Amino acid sequence: MSALIEARDLTKRYGSHVALDRATFSVAPGRIVGLIGPNGAGKTSALRSILGLTAYEGQLQVLGREPFRERARLMRDACFIADVAVLPGWLSVENAIDFVAAVHPRFRRDRAAALLGRTGITGKRRMRELSKGMKTQVHLALTMAIDARLLVLDEPTLGLDILARRAFYDALVNDYMDDTRTILITTHQVEEVENLLTDVLFIDKGRIVLDASLDDIASRYGAVAVSADRMEAARAEKPFYERRMLGKMLLYYENPNLERLAAFGEVHTPSVADLFVAKLSGAPE
Amino acid sequence: MNIPIWLIRREIWENRAIWIIPAVIGGFCILAALFGRVDAIALTSQLPSRAFGGALFAGVAGTYFAVMSIYSTWYLLDCLFTDRKDRSVLFWKSLPVSDTATVMSKLATGLIVIPLLYFAAADLTTLLVAFIVSVRARSIGGGLWHLDLWLQLQVLWLYVIATSAVWYLPIAAYLLVVSAWAKRAVMLWSILPPLGIILAERWFFGSYRFANALVVRLFGLFTLAFHSNPGKSDWFDRLVAEGNDGASAGIWGFLNASGFLSSADTWIGAAAGAALTACAIQLRMRRSEI
Repeated sequence: MSALIEARDLTKRYGSHVALDRATFSVAPGRIVGLIGPNGAGKTSALRSILGLTAYEGQLQVLGREPFRERARLMRDACFIADVAVLPGWLSVENAIDFVAAVHPRFRRDRAAALLGRTGITGKRRMRELSKGMKTQVHLALTMAIDARLLVLDEPTLGLDILARRAFYDALVNDYMDDTRTILITTHQVEEVENLLTDVLFIDKGRIVLDASLDDIASRYGAVAVSADRMEAARAEKPFYERRMLGKMLLYYENPNLERLAAFGEVHTPSVADLFVAKLSGAPE
Repeated sequence: MNIPIWLIRREIWENRAIWIIPAVIGGFCILAALFGRVDAIALTSQLPSRAFGGALFAGVAGTYFAVMSIYSTWYLLDCLFTDRKDRSVLFWKSLPVSDTATVMSKLATGLIVIPLLYFAAADLTTLLVAFIVSVRARSIGGGLWHLDLWLQLQVLWLYVIATSAVWYLPIAAYLLVVSAWAKRAVMLWSILPPLGIILAERWFFGSYRFANALVVRLFGLFTLAFHSNPGKSDWFDRLVAEGNDGASAGIWGFLNASGFLSSADTWIGAAAGAALTACAIQLRMRRSEI
């Protein structure tokens, strides 16, 4: 099956600042992909380009369309929640449903009503009267009632408390995700989405530094805790990153020789968050 | 599924002032008609009833029209700015509605929907006020209701709305460009470029062509779209002059549609308006947040 998102040499400049520097990546259908990077790495520029919110250089196809030129058509099959709390204060819940139902051919009103029914938020209320968490639930209900093939989430839980964040991801996984859908998500809370993701894209300084599935990561990366007296031998295996942890050193390897590493201790697959830190912090001196 | 209608409905949800302001004006007019001093009516009833009726109709219409012009200007200047400011543009852009449709809906709201709503409100107010005052002034002997005057006023309103929509298109589209572009202070940004051009022209060429063109654009519609008959300058003057003698001060003779439509200014302005609208659409596509 062909890729849902295909970017080649995707570049975005703001004046002399290069936010995206010839980024090349693709997203296959049915995956949940985390786009992970530090602040200013180009995450938002990448998402904005994919959603047709900004012009870009290079080649980009999303669902077979050029996002910037065909945003309106693209939005029939793709939807996004860019941050929380972008629903305008004057909009009432029922007006929001009426409007989306009127302009979106794939919006299923009954599903939106069912999702909202669970939250107990009544239709007459305006967004400005709702808490941030409630607003997010309304937005999520509106979005999840759309039969879209691609859902893009940009820091969807920013500013939410832990209960609301958990509810958000539970709803996403249990009520929304199925194998006809693809989700692209950016977040700072890597730990929170880690067990949700099937793939990760690490982005740094406008470039993609890792494009891998979690299965790839399991087979390609290993980490092992090494005691101080065996560091010399462990370093000879060329770790790409090391960090101190509880009196030992944690060493990270790409394509490790498992047999030899096993001599130093148990080799485990690094978490996405750890791998991210390791990848972006670079090699030891 | 009729997207343009829903886009305009959306504008009315968002900008409740679109109907609240006319409702408040209407409310004041009706209160004045209900509780105003009847002896004031007695005083003016020295005037022929037709002239007084005409003055009432024109006064209500003029009030609405003046407020509408100011409100509509503000609406156009604010509409593409405010949803970038509160970031709700990111929600609207997540829906399959093109930026062209969005910008056109705002243009149509500012140039046609708001004027028509004010027109409807003015009509309703006029009817109620004329009825109330006629009843209250009955003993003094002044019926204010004149169907032919009222009908003429309908023609006048619709004609003014239609011609203004074309004539003010470049102004409206310019306001949308500022609204789609500015990061803050839309009011200031709307004034600065024309002011800059005027000052630069004066500095470099010592002339005022742009300033003059702007004055013509802002205030020239009425000289272009209406006949100015020597001696009897306009419909209202003639109405008052003819007074109560029953002769109709026919509105049709004053409308100069052919003059308006054959003027180069009309079409140069429309073309500039179309170009500025295209520019506003491009800005809307490229700018999402502030």
